[in-house]
Amino acid sequence: MFWQQLVNGLTLGSTYSLIALGYTLIMGVLNIVNMAHGEIFMFGAFVGLLLVTHLKVNIFVAMLGAALTGAILGIILERVALRPLRRKAVSHLAPLISTIGVSIFLESVALKLFGPQSRDFPSSFTAAFEFGPMRISLVQIFILAVSFSLMLVLRFWLAKTKIGKALRATAENIETANLLGVNTNKIIVLTVSLASALGSVAGVLVGLSFNAVEPTMGITMGLKGLAVLILGGMGNITGAMLGGLILGIAEVFSVAYGNSSYRDAVAFGMIIVILFIRPQGLFGSRDQQGGK
Amino acid sequence: MINSLLNPYYLQIGMFVLINAILGISIYLTLATGQLSLGNAGFMSIGAYSSALLTIKLGLPVYLAIPTGGMASVLIALIIGFPALRLNGLYLAIATLGFGEVVRVIFLNLKITNGALGISGIPSLNVLTGNVLSTLGFADGFAGISLQQISNCAVLLILLVILVLLLFFTRRLGFSRVGRAFAAIKADETAAQAMGINTTYFKILAFILGAFIAGVAGGLSAHLTFYIGPKDFDYHRTVEILIFAVFGGSNLVWGPILGALLLTLLPEFLRAASDYRMMIYGAILVAMMAFRPLGLISEETVRFWRTKLGRRSSE
Repeated sequence: MFWQQLVNGLTLGSTYSLIALGYTLIMGVLNIVNMAHGEIFMFGAFVGLLLVTHLKVNIFVAMLGAALTGAILGIILERVALRPLRRKAVSHLAPLISTIGVSIFLESVALKLFGPQSRDFPSSFTAAFEFGPMRISLVQIFILAVSFSLMLVLRFWLAKTKIGKALRATAENIETANLLGVNTNKIIVLTVSLASALGSVAGVLVGLSFNAVEPTMGITMGLKGLAVLILGGMGNITGAMLGGLILGIAEVFSVAYGNSSYRDAVAFGMIIVILFIRPQGLFGSRDQQGGK
Repeated sequence: MINSLLNPYYLQIGMFVLINAILGISIYLTLATGQLSLGNAGFMSIGAYSSALLTIKLGLPVYLAIPTGGMASVLIALIIGFPALRLNGLYLAIATLGFGEVVRVIFLNLKITNGALGISGIPSLNVLTGNVLSTLGFADGFAGISLQQISNCAVLLILLVILVLLLFFTRRLGFSRVGRAFAAIKADETAAQAMGINTTYFKILAFILGAFIAGVAGGLSAHLTFYIGPKDFDYHRTVEILIFAVFGGSNLVWGPILGALLLTLLPEFLRAASDYRMMIYGAILVAMMAFRPLGLISEETVRFWRTKLGRRSSE
């Protein structure tokens, strides 16, 4: 029972990590919370679903399609809602409010396009393996493999490549990076589209694991990502990865040993507790507090 | 002529406008310190549910139940506000957003709130004022206006009085020491702290005042519609309240009130557009932030019209 739940928690948590990475990347570079991330995630799930059901493509192509859609949505988001605000001195709430606008817009577009009902995600993997006391389905292995490899690639890319370094420099200090010859505008567009692509892939994975895709999943899952953002420390990549896993495991265990109706409250409870005892997040350093 | 003017549909819209204007004041107060609370729908639902349950289960009179609902919101606001408001504004936005969703989930699952079905048969303000009026001898109406119309007008008047009182309070607050502290924190939190202002205290105060007013508005709306369900207080409701302030302007208290007035009336006149309401709201939020981040009314607009109308500005 325990090991089984641990595997379930890790699978769920790895998708949370992917969502939270999107928030964290944008938080790190632009210092804003992208409230539309959850809706981009939801669009990714729908695009993946439509590709699988209507075009009968395999799941990898569907994920690629979802990632592309997410990236395009991210670029549009940056152009429409973020760039106009960067030029002038506006309050720090402005990008928050304008991304809320995008999120509401995208959600109601999805309601019009896809309808309010929840849809099944047909999966080609039905097999399951027994490992001693655990029963791991192929879907779970797939989700774990995809999300962990994406996280590893992202880590490596940020640490070793030239663009990754430019991105980190921009996150450190945007003016200085600009002076040192980094095209920060390009890096910002890249960051937002990369974050949105990751979110969209997470959408497909969540659709697969819950076998359900609906327009309202954006707000619920977006909130989990935000909880992880606070849990791991704002703008902290490692924090987002580990925080997601922690939240996933905590949720699964609270359902297994507690009341399943309140599973969505676990994330919120964690936010409040973390804000009380360690506001910089589990993995954040003191000076990161508030992501200033 | 008067009869057609007093038709229940217009009166109902009038009540919604007033409730929304009260909600506009609630988000204005939190925004006055430069903090964004996304939990107003949550506080509204706490006020609505407490007031409804207190009147139905305990038989508390409505005029006591509604403020008690507001106080219940304050209690919850303290628990969330204290940890979140010690930090930068983003934390409050995220914590209150999470709070709103959790309150909805809790009301959806509790037995006493009747889950997804919601509570119906809440004592209605219309009926109550109707009863009072008929004991005063207006049972057959007055000057050709039926009792129902009179009681509807009376409710409208009560709401208007509450709104005017709140407006008066907010304006007075703005000119007081507290209001100046709010403004200082909004302009620059670090500088305000350096000037010796206890920023956490004033931020929590603003947040609590906002929560109380949202709770009262929730209680009032519960007793107007005599039905509430968890769906009435979801994320969309929060965004709707937020957009009153963003559209009308959040620097002056008149902004959210104008926003509430325009955005409540607009869907009624543009029936075709009400299908796309949320889409339009989203577009308004983005467009306002890009082109007019201070909203329709700001200090500058007021100054502009003052000089234009040839009056000397007094503030």
